[in-house]
Amino acid sequence: MSRKLLETDGREWVQKGIISEAQREQLLDLYPTDATAIGLLPLLGSLLVGLSALSVVAANWQGLPEVVRLALLLGSLCGAYAGGEYFRRRGNLNLGMGLIALGLILFGASIVLTSQLYQLIGYDLTGLLAWAVAGMALTWLYRSRLLFLMTAVISGIVQGYNTGQLGAFSYLTAIGTALGLGYYWWRRPNALLGGVLATGLLWQAALLINHLHVKITWFFIPAMLVYAFGDWQPDRPAGRALQGPPLVAAFLFTLGLALFGESDLYAGQLRAPLLPYLASLAGVLALSVFGKRQRGRLGSLTDWLLLLPGFYFTGGLPLAIATLVVLYAYSGAVLLRAHQEQNQDRVTLGTVLFIITTAVAYFKLTWGFLDKSLFFLLGGLLLLGLSWWLRRRAAHTFSSSTPSKP
Amino acid sequence: MSPPLADTPTPVPGRAGGSTTAPLAEVPEPRRRRWVQWLVGAQVLFVLGVAAAGYATAALGRTITLRTRPVDPRDLLYGDYVTLRYQVSELPGHLWRGSVLPRRHQPAYVLLEPQPDGTYTAVAAFPEKPSTTGSQAVLRGSVQDVWRRGIRLRYGLERYYVPEGQGRALERRQSLRVEVSVAPWGQARITKVEPATE
Repeated sequence: MSRKLLETDGREWVQKGIISEAQREQLLDLYPTDATAIGLLPLLGSLLVGLSALSVVAANWQGLPEVVRLALLLGSLCGAYAGGEYFRRRGNLNLGMGLIALGLILFGASIVLTSQLYQLIGYDLTGLLAWAVAGMALTWLYRSRLLFLMTAVISGIVQGYNTGQLGAFSYLTAIGTALGLGYYWWRRPNALLGGVLATGLLWQAALLINHLHVKITWFFIPAMLVYAFGDWQPDRPAGRALQGPPLVAAFLFTLGLALFGESDLYAGQLRAPLLPYLASLAGVLALSVFGKRQRGRLGSLTDWLLLLPGFYFTGGLPLAIATLVVLYAYSGAVLLRAHQEQNQDRVTLGTVLFIITTAVAYFKLTWGFLDKSLFFLLGGLLLLGLSWWLRRRAAHTFSSSTPSKP
Repeated sequence: MSPPLADTPTPVPGRAGGSTTAPLAEVPEPRRRRWVQWLVGAQVLFVLGVAAAGYATAALGRTITLRTRPVDPRDLLYGDYVTLRYQVSELPGHLWRGSVLPRRHQPAYVLLEPQPDGTYTAVAAFPEKPSTTGSQAVLRGSVQDVWRRGIRLRYGLERYYVPEGQGRALERRQSLRVEVSVAPWGQARITKVEPATE
């Protein structure tokens, strides 16, 4: 029950004699007011203050002597951390964490501006890596979700800078992010952090694939490793959140394959060396299946439908159609599981996936050999049939489970 | 999908492989405060270290002059910088002294010799650091691109943050003389940029 409900309806309950006024107050005391989830305001506040300080100083930066510039940077850095500790100790947690986050931002700014002062930009990998390491250490020390999010973003920025500007991929950053933040999330599972962590890791994986100039399908090995990690997480919602980004990537990829896979020129770009690719994928699949079995979630095995490597077949149109079948099977499985779990959000998700797939199929097939009106008819019948079947099934399971219980 | 699930004995979540996930406890207050102090100290030292490295490279390094052309001056929040392309950024393939062909992202050590006009030019490129004699100098770079007739290198000196007031002096499409300080430990930084007088 939320405090809001108590506040709005409580008086009515007292009037109707359900609870007494004293009981209403007792109930209200059970739900303290400050239940701010993540502290978005201190994050935005520290960001804005940091940006304004940055631009004011940047405007006059060149005119200041070197020593003053260094002192300014280090002074504000120490000030932000000290202020953060001070406010934390006074019990103002959100403001304290905001200032500590500001300190972390200032550390990054200090590295960049000092390197620039001495024209050292673009030389060193270690400079920005130190920034990510500091973020990681602070996350662990304060056990803070805000710092976790910042560290995930900072690692992504560092990696982007490495590959974009320095032309090198920092494996240390990638592995450090995966292990440091991954283990933190494992011990403190959280849906939001899971989603952000997975997105950050996928971003770095994409940079690596781009950097190595290998076939883009290799991306799904690290991506599905992240997915498999989610299978092992005992906390179900957090695990699902971590698995979201890899699944989105796999779904979009399969959608692209259905749209463009017809031309072998495109499919040819995807064919990684057969044996190593399939072996790695099978390895990750085994990890995932084992995790699902341990946690009793084998039903979600249908997610792996999206990883079927159909692009190895030089099929042309049949390949596109086979991919569409896979997409239908996947979205159908999502719908089916959503009905079993009575999860309204996932029903919506499954329906949206189903409609997207149908839209792609429409563009694909009506151009080829199917009459448009016939296609609409088939698609509509398919959806109606599915909904009828699901409803029947739900009613059946409901009616069969109620009387069987003694 | 559910029947096979129902048949198997449902495993208890968290039982597997000793992976009991007790929630992570907070760091005790005094210990955390001590560690934060260390961490902030380390950050300050790191920034000072960057400054010291930059200062030492200029103070102890050896100055060489390279010829270049600015590519594209642009504005950033931090002020103006120019992107520099050096004459030694692209080398003909026959200067490569390695036993195998260079690969992308591989380090390359470029041996430089002074010309009559005072600027340095590349005479050879090695995969390992070569020994030098007298007036020669070595710049460390990394291979960015390899094609049949040459290689393109990156030295980390491709960006110059123009100090206040000097921006107008560096115009587009103009050859520049760049003074680079190379420290004995290999680090290099730009110390001066001026238009080349011809």
